[in-house]
Amino acid sequence: MGVPYVPVMGLVGTDLLARRDDMVMSPDPFGSGKSTVVAKAMRPDIAVFHVEKADRYGNVSCGYPVEAVVLSEAATHVIVTAETIVDRLTEKEAVGCFVPAILVDSVVHAPFGAHPGAMTSCYGIDKAHMTRYAAAAKDEASFAEYVKSCVFDVAGHEQYVERFVPREWREAARSRVA
Amino acid sequence: MTALAYNDSEYIAILMSREVRDGEVSACGALSQIPAAALLLAQATHAPNAEIILLNTVFRPFGTSRQFHFLCQRGELGLFFLSGVQIDRHANYNLHQLGPDKQHPTARFPGGYGGGMIYYMAKRTILFRTEHTRRTFVERVDYISSAGSSPPDTIRGGHPHQVITPKAVFGFDRAAGILRLQSVHSPYTLDDIRENTGFDLGVDGAVDTTPVPTQEELRVLREVVRPKMISTGTYGAWAEKTIGV
Repeated sequence: MGVPYVPVMGLVGTDLLARRDDMVMSPDPFGSGKSTVVAKAMRPDIAVFHVEKADRYGNVSCGYPVEAVVLSEAATHVIVTAETIVDRLTEKEAVGCFVPAILVDSVVHAPFGAHPGAMTSCYGIDKAHMTRYAAAAKDEASFAEYVKSCVFDVAGHEQYVERFVPREWREAARSRVA
Repeated sequence: MTALAYNDSEYIAILMSREVRDGEVSACGALSQIPAAALLLAQATHAPNAEIILLNTVFRPFGTSRQFHFLCQRGELGLFFLSGVQIDRHANYNLHQLGPDKQHPTARFPGGYGGGMIYYMAKRTILFRTEHTRRTFVERVDYISSAGSSPPDTIRGGHPHQVITPKAVFGFDRAAGILRLQSVHSPYTLDDIRENTGFDLGVDGAVDTTPVPTQEELRVLREVVRPKMISTGTYGAWAEKTIGV
């Protein structure tokens, strides 16, 4: 990616198209006489995503197929958080979910970095925490309280894991490493 | 012979499954319980070589949405299923919001970009709605999430095929760009449909009665598809409480 826009066949005559200025109708520059939508490319300054494994050089195995390569190609800077850091990862070991180091700027070791979401192959969604989040998200005051407790009042990632990731999950992860 | 008993979801799934063609690629999106059952039923009956894609389940040939996006853009998708909060006479559907003022909707829904592309590029799309009332079938949708027809100078790879409800089936008249009542499910009458539809039915005189499920369709749906959905985690909880109940 990194191109300025891409054509999309579809969306003609929708209110979605009418209300967005990053997608417009454009005639075929090659003269077929047909028009398509062209969607303006997103060029994020920074992309951050969580993966299963990364190595010290910045090669990444997402763990399952996701659009991480496209995201990494589109963004100027790429920060990856990983469940585990290994010595060396090759594309062969991560078929379908490999992001090469040339696209990655930084790797951060962050076990349970997807919490309370799931990291497929490591742990599932923390349903109790998600229920708490959903309840808190209902109004501004309770949401502010949630953010304070789970984000601003936490000293760092280790403290977050200690406080909010279920104990049995942490123990299971320790035994996986040992 | 006593009439077979079945529920609305089973009937809609069976009507959908009859539209699946053997050897073609057919797909349904996330949160598509009835179409998922329909696709599995078709594959277990008349379409053993149908390629079926149930997004977000184990029944998918690839992992990423980009691959599905370009499969659609290439025109390789034969049949897709979509639903809407509202569906109108011109086969426009609304999955975004309700209310006359688009800036201040009275209710908002998840919306979705995917359908807005797939509706144009799947060769055939079946719209469905489990509620057939004047609040769901309207003269004009409050918000067009996807349009039934497109201007001739744009690329349209496919068209609306049918609208299936618990009361009737509509077909799409491509030349006129409107839905026309195709058949009515027993025991409903033409008057029932007129009373519950907010637009002209596009028919003069009598219409056909929709063929009822066959014993074999119901058997396969309940004895093959239901356990398959449960064992593969494909809307298992839904299958358990809906099919054969």
